[in-house]
Amino acid sequence: MLDFGAVALEWGSLLTQAIVFLLLLLAVRKFAMGPIVAVMEKRRQHIESEITTAERSRKEAEALLAEQRRVLDEARLEAKSIIDRATKQASDEAAKIVADAQAAAERLKADASAELAREVEKAKAELRDQMTGLSVLLASKIIEKELDEATQKATVDKFLAQVGDRL
Amino acid sequence: MHYSLRFEWLGMVFDISTIIAIVVTALIVLFFCIGMTRNLTSGVPGGRQNVMEWIVDFVTGITKSYIEPKKAAGFVSLALTLFLYIFIGNQLGLLFNVNTAIHNDPVEKQYVSDTVKDMLTLSTTEEAKKEKLAKLEEEINDPHGHGASIGWWKSPTATPSVTFALALVVLLYAHYLGMKKSFGGWLKHTFLNPIHILEEFIIKPLTLPLRLFGNIFAGEVLIAFLLSVGIFGSIPLFLWLGYSVFVGSVQAFIFTTLAMVYISQQVNDQH
Repeated sequence: MLDFGAVALEWGSLLTQAIVFLLLLLAVRKFAMGPIVAVMEKRRQHIESEITTAERSRKEAEALLAEQRRVLDEARLEAKSIIDRATKQASDEAAKIVADAQAAAERLKADASAELAREVEKAKAELRDQMTGLSVLLASKIIEKELDEATQKATVDKFLAQVGDRL
Repeated sequence: MHYSLRFEWLGMVFDISTIIAIVVTALIVLFFCIGMTRNLTSGVPGGRQNVMEWIVDFVTGITKSYIEPKKAAGFVSLALTLFLYIFIGNQLGLLFNVNTAIHNDPVEKQYVSDTVKDMLTLSTTEEAKKEKLAKLEEEINDPHGHGASIGWWKSPTATPSVTFALALVVLLYAHYLGMKKSFGGWLKHTFLNPIHILEEFIIKPLTLPLRLFGNIFAGEVLIAFLLSVGIFGSIPLFLWLGYSVFVGSVQAFIFTTLAMVYISQQVNDQH
């Protein structure tokens, strides 16, 4: 024991402290540091694996997104081509319908004018017949009994034929 | 100053108040460490586990700043125990005092026994013992005085035996590590340069424990003085107690840091 009055170095206290400290060190290492270091290490590994997983998931998601985008673009293109085709088909059909309708109308018109011409011709012939009768009637009224009807008719017919040609 | 009870066993002197302080501090550290590490989870840590993990991270930081990273993990337990023991030990003496007074009472016919007197005055030399005994007799026989005051409670680190013990554990361990790593290297490093002999066997074993002891002991002496001043000492006492908490924390940090530095000098591959 080194003695300086109030301050003394006691070998017994020193040895006690050394032993108690070593025991404390062993106990702390066994009961506190072991578990907490294990837990912290486990968490470190957990976080590390989580980060790796997240990274992998992100890459997968990106690949999937690109795939989706590609498929969507394809679908859009396809839809566009379908619509284009449908539009073209519809307009073609419309044009065909209009052309058909026009052709039918033309035909109807042609039929109608032919009919008309025929009617006109028929009316002319009728008119000519009636005019012949009327002329004979008229002439016979004018000339009275001197002329027999048959001779008169022949004369008038001849005259009217000339008239008809000019008509 | 207070007297303390000492006894001699196997030729060594033991101080009872110091041993009480040592055992109580060690138990507090042990229960703190065990209590803080119950129900651990590797998920999100709760309050207690957060505190303990913060302390472990702090101590690991000290360890890793001096010892090579791949060797540092093995010294974290030592650093943590040293830090907590010194930190808690430094603060314990600030909390309260436990003193008992003894005196001879001629009226009641109660006298201090010779065994107690012997324990209170245990000394290295007969002269010193006689001197102390004379002073003790004077105090316990003074009918108007408070008798002789026996201190039961103090910071363990306010005792040189304790700080020397801690320093010797650290330094011997460091030398052991140096020898284990390379005995030739250790011999060369330690004995080839006279400055190193001085450093390893005189300077380190003296400065490491005396710095800690001096700071804490001086703090307690000043606290005892301010307590004896009375009412006028209360404001300085309050300030000094706050400062002592700071000093105690800093000294725990310094001791732990130096311990790691001394170990690193023995285990690191390049100096």
